[in-house]
Amino acid sequence: MTAVTTVTEATDADGANGMAGKGVGEGGRSPGGGSSGSRRRYWRAGFLRGRIEVRHLFRNRKELGSHLINIVVALVVVSNLHDDVPGTHVPMTHLALCGFAAYLLFQIGLVNLPQILVTEREEGTLLRLRTTPGGIPAYLIAKSVLVVTMALATLVVLLSAGALVANGPLPHSIDGWLTLLWVSALGLLAVVPLGAAIGAVLPNPREALALIMLPAMGLLVTSGAMFPLTSLPTIVQKIASVFPLKWMAQGVRSALLPDAARAAEPAGSWELPTVALVLAAWAVVGFLLAIPLLRRAARRESGSRLGERHRKANLGAAPAA
Amino acid sequence: MTITEGAPVPPTADAAPPVIQVSGLRMSYGSTDVLHGVDLDVRRGEVFALLGPNGAGKSTTVEILEGFRQRSAGTVRVLGTDPARGGDAWRGRIGLVLQSWRDHRRWRVAELLTHFATYHEAPRDPAELLALVGLTGQSGKQVEQLSGGQRRRLDVALALVGRPELVFLDEPTTGFDPEARRDFHDLIERLARDEGVTVLLTTHDLVEAERLADRIAMLVNGRIRAHGTPAELARSAAAQAEVRWTAPDGTARRERTADPSRLVWELHREIGGPVADLEVRRPTLEDTYLRMVHQEEAPQAAAGPVADALDGGGRQNHAA
Repeated sequence: MTAVTTVTEATDADGANGMAGKGVGEGGRSPGGGSSGSRRRYWRAGFLRGRIEVRHLFRNRKELGSHLINIVVALVVVSNLHDDVPGTHVPMTHLALCGFAAYLLFQIGLVNLPQILVTEREEGTLLRLRTTPGGIPAYLIAKSVLVVTMALATLVVLLSAGALVANGPLPHSIDGWLTLLWVSALGLLAVVPLGAAIGAVLPNPREALALIMLPAMGLLVTSGAMFPLTSLPTIVQKIASVFPLKWMAQGVRSALLPDAARAAEPAGSWELPTVALVLAAWAVVGFLLAIPLLRRAARRESGSRLGERHRKANLGAAPAA
Repeated sequence: MTITEGAPVPPTADAAPPVIQVSGLRMSYGSTDVLHGVDLDVRRGEVFALLGPNGAGKSTTVEILEGFRQRSAGTVRVLGTDPARGGDAWRGRIGLVLQSWRDHRRWRVAELLTHFATYHEAPRDPAELLALVGLTGQSGKQVEQLSGGQRRRLDVALALVGRPELVFLDEPTTGFDPEARRDFHDLIERLARDEGVTVLLTTHDLVEAERLADRIAMLVNGRIRAHGTPAELARSAAAQAEVRWTAPDGTARRERTADPSRLVWELHREIGGPVADLEVRRPTLEDTYLRMVHQEEAPQAAAGPVADALDGGGRQNHAA
C-alpha cells in the first residue's frame, strides 16, 4: 500500500504535480466575497445580461411574433366593437382596449415570465447561474429588465396602434399619464413576483402553458376587461375582484377614459385607492411566495436532476418526433 | 486480492492540504444507503478519476462535493470549506462541467463566455480561452448550433473563465463519437499539464480514467473498492494470476495465486508429467473492474439501479 503515496508513472501527471507548487489561485482572492466591489460587479452583470436577453427577444422572430400576434388579436377584437358602453357615450372599443392593455401586462407577468423561468430551469440556466458567484441576483436583475422592457414595448405598440387604427384612447392629461404609469408599474409588481413563484414550482414548459393559460383566459373574461363588469353576475364580480387583473384594468380605464365612463363601474367611481391597495397587497404576497420558492428551486437544481428531466423529456418527445 | 478495499486513500506526503478531503461519507435516501463510508483525498494539481458503473454513487458523491446535496454523515472539505456552507466566494473557486447542461442556447459562443467573465474579479481572457478549447472558429455561432463535443468544450471554457482552482467534470464524454472524445481527452490533458488546475473527473469508462487520471478511485455500490495510480491498479490487478488446467480425473480446475510459477511447478510434480490444458492468465485492470462490478451487481440486481451498470452506461445516448 505504501506505493500509493507516490506517483510512479504517467509522465503527464508529473507535469501537473509540478504546477501545484505555483499554487494556482492561492491567495490574491478575498475570501469574504460580499464586498461592495463584488456587489457592483453583480449589478453590472445583471444589467448586461438584461440587455442581452432583450436583444435576443427582439432577434427571435418566433417569440417576437407571438407577442405581436397578441396585440394584433386585441386590435382586431376591439375594432369590431361598435356600441357604446351602456349608460355612457364612451365607445366599447375604448373600454376593451384598456382591458387588453391591462391583460397583456398581466400575461407578461403570469404567463410569459413563468414560461421563461420553467424553460431556463429545465435547460440548466438557473443551475449555471447558481454555480456562478452573484449569478442569482444578476439573473433576477436581468429578468426585471426583460419584463419591464416587454411591458413597456407592449403598451407603447398597443396604445399607439390602437390610437391609429381603432381611434383608441390616450391619456388626456399629465394626470392621466401619471396614473397610467403607476397603475402599470404597480400592476407589474403585483403579477411579476407571483409569476416568478409559479415559474419556480411548475413542472415543465409544456404543462406550464396549459396550467396557466386557462385561468388567465378565465380572468380575462370575468375581470371586466372586455365588457363592463356590471353586466356580469354579482358573484362573478366578487370572485374576479379578488384577483389583480380586475384592478389593473380599472386603473388603466381611469387613466385613459373620460370621467363619464365611471357610470359603468360597479362602484360608480374609479376606486383608485382600492386599486393601489389590492395591487400592493398582491405584490407583497407575491414577494413573500417568490423568495422562498425561487430559493428552493435554485437549491434543488443539480446535475442529476437536470439529467433526469432531460431523459423524461426525451422519452416524452420520442413518439412525437 | 491485494487491491485494498474500503481503506482510506493515504494522506498526501507534501504539506499542502488536499483540495478535496472526504472521510466516512455516508448518504442514505430513506432506508436505502447509497454511500457506505467513502474516503477520498484529492491533491492540488492532480487529475483524479472517480470511476464506477452508473448507480454506484458517483453523482451523489460529486453533488455532495459540489454543495448541491446534503450528506447523511461524514466529513467533507472542498478547498478547505464544508460544501454545505460554501458561499459565493467559495463557488468562484470551483468550475463545473455537467453533462446535462443545455443552457443559453440562443446566446452566441463568444457573447456567453464574455458575459460570464463579468461575474469574476479577475477573469481569463475569453478569446484566449476559446483558443484553448478550440472554439475560436465557432465564436460567432449560436450555442444551439454546436455539436455535442463543441458544446462540452464550451462548458469547459465557461468553467475556467473565473480561474478556478478545482474543476469537476461529470461524465464529460458521454454520447461522444470517438473523434470528439479524443479531442476532449487532449483538452483535459492540456488543462492538467499546462494550467495546473485540479480536476475531479467522474466516468464509467475505465479507458478514459486510465488515460486521463493521475489517480483513480473505483466506486462500486457506494464503496471505494480500489484506488491508486493507473499503474498501481494494473499491477495489483495482475498480482493474482489465474491458473487453469485439467486434472488427471478430467475435471477443469482453476486457481488464483500470486505465484503462478510455483503452482505450476507443484502441479507438474504432483501429476508427475505435463499438466493438461495449462493456462496462466494475468488479469488486466479491466478484468478486475468488470469482476468487481459484476460481483456487486448480483445482490443489487433486484433493486435496479446497478442492473444496467456497464453496458447500459455505454449505450446511454444524449443528443450530441
